Amino acid sequence: MKKFNIWPWIILLIGMVYFFLPLIATFEFSLKMIKDRYTFEAYRVAFTDSKFFLNFGYSVLWAVLTMICSTLLVVPTAYWVHWKMPNARPYVEFVTLMPFVVPAVTLTYGLLSLYGSPPIVLIGSPILLIAGYIVLSLPYMFRAVDTGLRAIDVRTLTEAALSLGAGWGTILTQVIFPNLRVAILSGIFLTFAIVMGEFTFASLLSWPAFGPYLEEIGSMRAYTPQALSVVSFMLTWISIGLLQLIGRGRGQEQVAGAH
Amino acid sequence: MAFLEINNVSKKFGTTEAVSDFNLHVEKGELVSFLGPSGCGKTTTLRMVAGFEVPTGGRIVMDGRDITDLPPNQRDVGMVFQSYALFPNMTVAGNIGFGLKVMKKPAEEINQRVSEMLELINMPKYAERFPYQLSGGQQQRVALARALALRPEMLLLDEPLSALDAKIRVSLRAEIRSIQQKLGITAIYVTHDQEEALSLSDRVVVMNTGRMEQVGTPFEIYNFPTTSFVANFVGTLNTAEVEVTDPAGGLVGMDGVQFVSSDEHVKSRRKGDKVRISIRPERFSFVTEGEKENVVDCRIENITFLGSVVRIQMTIGNQKFNMDTFNRPSLALPEIGDQRQVTCSSKAVLVLKD
Repeated sequence: MKKFNIWPWIILLIGMVYFFLPLIATFEFSLKMIKDRYTFEAYRVAFTDSKFFLNFGYSVLWAVLTMICSTLLVVPTAYWVHWKMPNARPYVEFVTLMPFVVPAVTLTYGLLSLYGSPPIVLIGSPILLIAGYIVLSLPYMFRAVDTGLRAIDVRTLTEAALSLGAGWGTILTQVIFPNLRVAILSGIFLTFAIVMGEFTFASLLSWPAFGPYLEEIGSMRAYTPQALSVVSFMLTWISIGLLQLIGRGRGQEQVAGAH
Repeated sequence: MAFLEINNVSKKFGTTEAVSDFNLHVEKGELVSFLGPSGCGKTTTLRMVAGFEVPTGGRIVMDGRDITDLPPNQRDVGMVFQSYALFPNMTVAGNIGFGLKVMKKPAEEINQRVSEMLELINMPKYAERFPYQLSGGQQQRVALARALALRPEMLLLDEPLSALDAKIRVSLRAEIRSIQQKLGITAIYVTHDQEEALSLSDRVVVMNTGRMEQVGTPFEIYNFPTTSFVANFVGTLNTAEVEVTDPAGGLVGMDGVQFVSSDEHVKSRRKGDKVRISIRPERFSFVTEGEKENVVDCRIENITFLGSVVRIQMTIGNQKFNMDTFNRPSLALPEIGDQRQVTCSSKAVLVLKD
C-alpha cells in the first residue's frame, strides 16, 4: 500500500482555514448585534430596511437583463466562430478577457467620456450599465459556451440541419441552444453572481444596486453590513451549487451521447 | 438528359486545387460511388453537390435546375454523415421528423412519416430513444431515415460506414443498397473502401489528387483498370515496366521473360516503347498441362494464408509478383525456394495508360 502522505492534507487545511476563518468570523460578528447573545437581529434589521429591497431588486433586474443580453450576444458569436471562423477563436477569446486587463474604473470612465457627450449620449439610460456588465460577464459566458460548443460537433450538426431545410433561426433555437443548455446555464449563474456583487459600475454610473448599498450602510453601521455580506456569499454559493447540480444531471447524458 | 450533371467543376482552397475539372452525369435511380484515398477530393465534390462548398468553376445541374449557387437548405438533398450527426437533444422520432417539422407539416403527417421511416430501417420500437442510447449502427440507420424522411430528390452519403466495425459495415451497406433500390433514389456514396464501392455501386468514380482517374461499373473498374493508380488502389495488383518487343504480336518483355498481351494498346505502340502492364494475382495459376500462353518460370518466395485465398509471392525475371489461388484441401502448396512454372491468359495482361 502507498504510504500515507500527510503534507497535502496539511496544505489543504491551511487553505481552508485561510478561506473560511474570515467568513466564520464575519458570520459570528453578524450574530452579535445584541450584547452577550447570538441573535439574527442584524439580519432582521437588514431585511426590514426598504432600501435593501429596492437596491437588491435593482441588482436582480440588472443581473437578469445582463444574462439575457449576454447570452444573445455570446452564443451566436461563439457559434459562428466555431462554424465559420475557427482561426479567429484566439482573438475573440482575447477580446473577452478584456475585463481582466482593463479595470472596471477605467472602463467606466471610458464609457462616461465616450457616451457623455454628443453625438451619442447614453448617460442616464441603463444601457451603459448593462453594456458594462455584459463586458464583465464576457470571460465567463464565452468560456462556458466555448467549452459547450467543443463538446458537440457544431459543424456537422449545422450541416445536417441545413440539409434538412432548416434556416439559421431554427438551427440556433432548436439545435444549438438546447445542446448548449448546461454551458449557457453555467455562464448565466456566474454572470448572476458577478452582477449581484458588482460595485464600481453601479456606483460610478449612479444606479441603485446591491453593491453600492452595501458600501453605503457599511460606512454607517457595524453589524448589518456583515449580515448582508454573509447573505451575498450565500447567494453566490447557491448559484454555484445550482450550477453543479444541473451540470451533473445532464453531464452523464452528454458524455454517453458523444459516442 | 442525366438527372444530375456535374460539369467541369473545380474547387480551390487558397492555392491548392482540391478538385479539378470534374465531369459526371448521374442517371435517375443510380448509385455512384466516389472512391479514393483521403485528400483525393471525393468529399469536397460531394459537399459541392450538397451545397456546403461553392465550386470555384463549373456548374452543377440537378433535374434540369442549376443548383451551383443554391444554399444547402434549398437543395432537396438528404445527407448522411460519417459521424451520424444526430441531434443529441432529440429522440429518434424527433430526429427523423426534424425536416418535416421545419417544413411546418401537420403533426399527424409527421407521425405517420416517422413510423414509415422507422419501419423502413427496421427500428419501429426505438422512436422514443435518444441517440446516446443507440449503437453506432443504429444511429447511422436513424440518420439514413432522417435524410430520407423528406423524400429528397437525391441522397448523399459521406463515408457513412467508416466509423462502424467490420461486421456491421457489411450488413449495413447491404441495407443501404436495398433501401436505395427500393426507393429508386439517386445517390452518391463517398468511400475510401474499395470493397464497399465495388459491392454496392452501379458505377464507381475513382479519384486521385482532385482528378477523376476512371469512371465505370465495378466490373470494369476491377477488371479493366485504365491507369496504374486505379490498378493499384482497387484490389491487389501486379504491375511491371516492360518493353514492347513485337507490337503486332502483342509481345512485351522484361529481364528476358516474354508476355503476350491481347490488349489493343500494345498494337498502337512501337517496338522498344516502355509500358506498364498489370496482371491481377488471381489470373495466375500453376502450369498443369496444355497451356502454351504466357508460361513463365518463377521462384517461390513466400506463402501467405488469407483464409479462403492463399497468396503466393514469386519472382519472375527480377520482379516480384503475387499469385492468389483458392484454398482447397486438395491444394498442393509449393515450398519456399521452389522453381515452378506459372501461366496466365493473354487477356489478363493489361497495358496501363500511364
